[in-house]
Amino acid sequence: MNRLAIEPGSTVAYHTGDWRNQRPAYRDKWPPCGQTCPAEEDVQAWLALASDRQWEAAWRTLTERNPLPAVMGRVCYHPCERACNRAHLDTAVNIHGVERHLGDLALQQGWRHRPLTDQQQTQQVAVVGAGPAGLSCAFQLARRGFPVTIFDAQSTPGGTLSSGIPEYRLPKSVMQGEINAILALGIQLKLNTRIGADISADTLREEFVAVFLAVGALQPRTYPDDGYGDHSVMSGVDFLRRINDGERLSLPGQIAVIGGGNTAIDAARCARRLGAEVTVVCSQDPHGSHGGHPGAEIPASLDEVNQAEAEGVRLRYRMGVQRLVRSGAHLSGVEIARVDQIHDRHGRFNPVLFEGTEEFLPASLVVFAIGQEVDWRGLEPLVQTETSGIFVGGDAAGKPRFAATAVGSGYQAAMSIIALLTGVPPHYEHHDKAEVTFRDIKPQYYPRQARREGALMAASPGEFSERVAGLGNEAAHEEAGRCLNCGICFQCDNCWHFCPDAAVIKQGQGYRIDDDYCKGCGICAEECPSGHIDMERVAG
Amino acid sequence: MDTRDAFRHNVLTSGHRACSGCGEAMAARMVTDLIGPEAIYVNATGCLQVFSTHNQQSAWQAPWIHSVFANAAAVASGVEAALRARGEDTPVIVQAGDGGTFDIGLQCLSGMIERGHDVLFVCYDNEAYMNTGVQRSSSTPHAVRTTTSPPGRVSEGKHHLKKDLISIVAAHRMPYAATATVAYFPDLRAKVDKAMRIKGPRFLHVLSPCPLGWDHDAALSVTVARLAVETGLFPLIELEYGAVTGVTRLARQQPVEEYLKLQGRFKHLFADKGGAEEIRHLQALADANIRRYGLLDANTEWDTDRASQTQRHGRGGYAASSREVSP
Repeated sequence: MNRLAIEPGSTVAYHTGDWRNQRPAYRDKWPPCGQTCPAEEDVQAWLALASDRQWEAAWRTLTERNPLPAVMGRVCYHPCERACNRAHLDTAVNIHGVERHLGDLALQQGWRHRPLTDQQQTQQVAVVGAGPAGLSCAFQLARRGFPVTIFDAQSTPGGTLSSGIPEYRLPKSVMQGEINAILALGIQLKLNTRIGADISADTLREEFVAVFLAVGALQPRTYPDDGYGDHSVMSGVDFLRRINDGERLSLPGQIAVIGGGNTAIDAARCARRLGAEVTVVCSQDPHGSHGGHPGAEIPASLDEVNQAEAEGVRLRYRMGVQRLVRSGAHLSGVEIARVDQIHDRHGRFNPVLFEGTEEFLPASLVVFAIGQEVDWRGLEPLVQTETSGIFVGGDAAGKPRFAATAVGSGYQAAMSIIALLTGVPPHYEHHDKAEVTFRDIKPQYYPRQARREGALMAASPGEFSERVAGLGNEAAHEEAGRCLNCGICFQCDNCWHFCPDAAVIKQGQGYRIDDDYCKGCGICAEECPSGHIDMERVAG
Repeated sequence: MDTRDAFRHNVLTSGHRACSGCGEAMAARMVTDLIGPEAIYVNATGCLQVFSTHNQQSAWQAPWIHSVFANAAAVASGVEAALRARGEDTPVIVQAGDGGTFDIGLQCLSGMIERGHDVLFVCYDNEAYMNTGVQRSSSTPHAVRTTTSPPGRVSEGKHHLKKDLISIVAAHRMPYAATATVAYFPDLRAKVDKAMRIKGPRFLHVLSPCPLGWDHDAALSVTVARLAVETGLFPLIELEYGAVTGVTRLARQQPVEEYLKLQGRFKHLFADKGGAEEIRHLQALADANIRRYGLLDANTEWDTDRASQTQRHGRGGYAASSREVSP
């Protein structure tokens, strides 16, 4: 019917759509949590499922990118929460708490990972290192039908998760449970096998079409030898490894830990549990003193620092080591001084100390946790030749060295390996969607709600049991419900209620704009709580 | 019959000629969809009648009668009496603008209430005669620019105050009178639902922003209505038999400037000292409302935060559902 028809009837014959000079478009954005996640988890998606109590579906969505949620929920430094837009409304969503809950639930219920294909590939892939990067890569390959063998020099899998993270942060049973679930996809695990010693690099090269090197960075950076070797001096890595292997070291009364990373804090908290008086000497300033500027603030995560202080660990900020003070070989303490500059003019970590600010810090053991390097011994033939099919990831690939970064690099390596083996260019599911800032959010549509934390259990001396309790179903459900769903439609009906022209049609899932009638007023976009609707100009 | 949407009736459907972003169309669509098509709608002259029935085309998918400006309530009284005589209980709804309620239709409205007709009278208040070119009405607030109250050397816009209609109506000691806006859908839905459960004369006063007459961005119709409430200039209240029985508490109070600055009809107030004085006057009026109805300290859980809260998978609310209408 002609739109100017004037015969009696309904106004729907008259298309008001040609009045508009802009039109709304429903468009998914990429929320800041997922954008900052080193493992590229679609955080909003699994939070949404968790808020609907679809626990298993949430876990399956999460494990698309990260097969270690119970582990990561405990140890990750959760940059997602620092980016969370909800922080501008009240407090960030407790994302790691919900992640951990999903992981714990999966272990408790015995949910099993599902392969993505029935097709079995024949090309063998080797993964060197059973840490988070290696496990993540093997997991992604195995789900896609590739036969994978993981080699690890240690007697237990987990890499740094196992040797570097104390039991009170990550119970061994949790880690082992998630590793078992990954291996159940049919991955072979060869422990106590060091490349270059137990199996040569060349054999590896011949037997496997592709090799993923995720050997970690386990070689501790050392303090210049003062002539007495490692007498009364230990590296943070070795200290933690021995404790994590179950050794209950007998420690002297006073210990100094040098360094400000999570290794330093972990070592300090372990020493504290073994009864020592512990002082951490770190070159940086406390959290929050430089507005979160990386490099100027202590790199260890805030929760860890707070818990360490609560447990009686002393922290000396912006101090550096001048020299070790010895009487003969006997260590009586460390001379520390105030740090002037942390970085040199090339931006390298190279603290300069103020002369005349020296202090004596009594200690009978010094633990240096001042960084780690990659130990390439035995792998030279793999990394020095220009051959294809060798991939490097995780801590071995460089900084930042976080567990979540390792999981993410494992995924990328798997995708690159598949591309190499199949000849199809790598298909990363890159999220190139628009960002959502708090300005796109309509806070009036979200009630204020307090953040739910896992309860902090009382620390008794000498205890290595877990400090932070899980959220439980109710709190995890509420916490997931606090998600603003930045940039994603959660079917709140606002656009549908408010359209003056009935041009928003509700469908089973979501809505559509009826272009015949939309006048382009923009109310739907203005009142969309999560910023899912964009107005775009139309030529006219 | 337009059945594009499986989840509501669209009693007022698409193709109507309201301006882009029309608050009155939005309000009428919400109210009539909440009531549904099983009702008889009587419409006074006004924007709503003009834009919904154009060139012999009707946007109404329910029985609908147009009366003259003054007598919508009288026509509805007759319809209701006739239905009663025939033993039918189809709901009767009057829809009118502020002109047809505050000014021209007031005596018929008063008579309808006084005689106790079982009719819901809905006033979509856009605070002036918009359809004829933005002339001031007795609903136009103080200091507003209209074509018949232009600001200038001797005037700061409309000199008189907005008529306190809800008090006049409630003074009839009628069963139910309430105010609502387009901004808080759960609040509006609760009031329509309650009104439809009560017998006797009922009155609903819905503030409906007008992008043309209020001179604000078409996208801001809901925002402006929300600010009218949050400043205290338009209190959301319920009255039964003359007594205040319900108040939507303000989770936080906004200064009136936040509301005024979005609208061209108040632009002149930001130009000079006289205008600043009028802003202080409007703030005093808002504060008086807040004190009068206890908008900040009312003892109720129902506040503006709760009334704007959204829910995953919708907060539903129309008479039609997917079960009742097949797609």
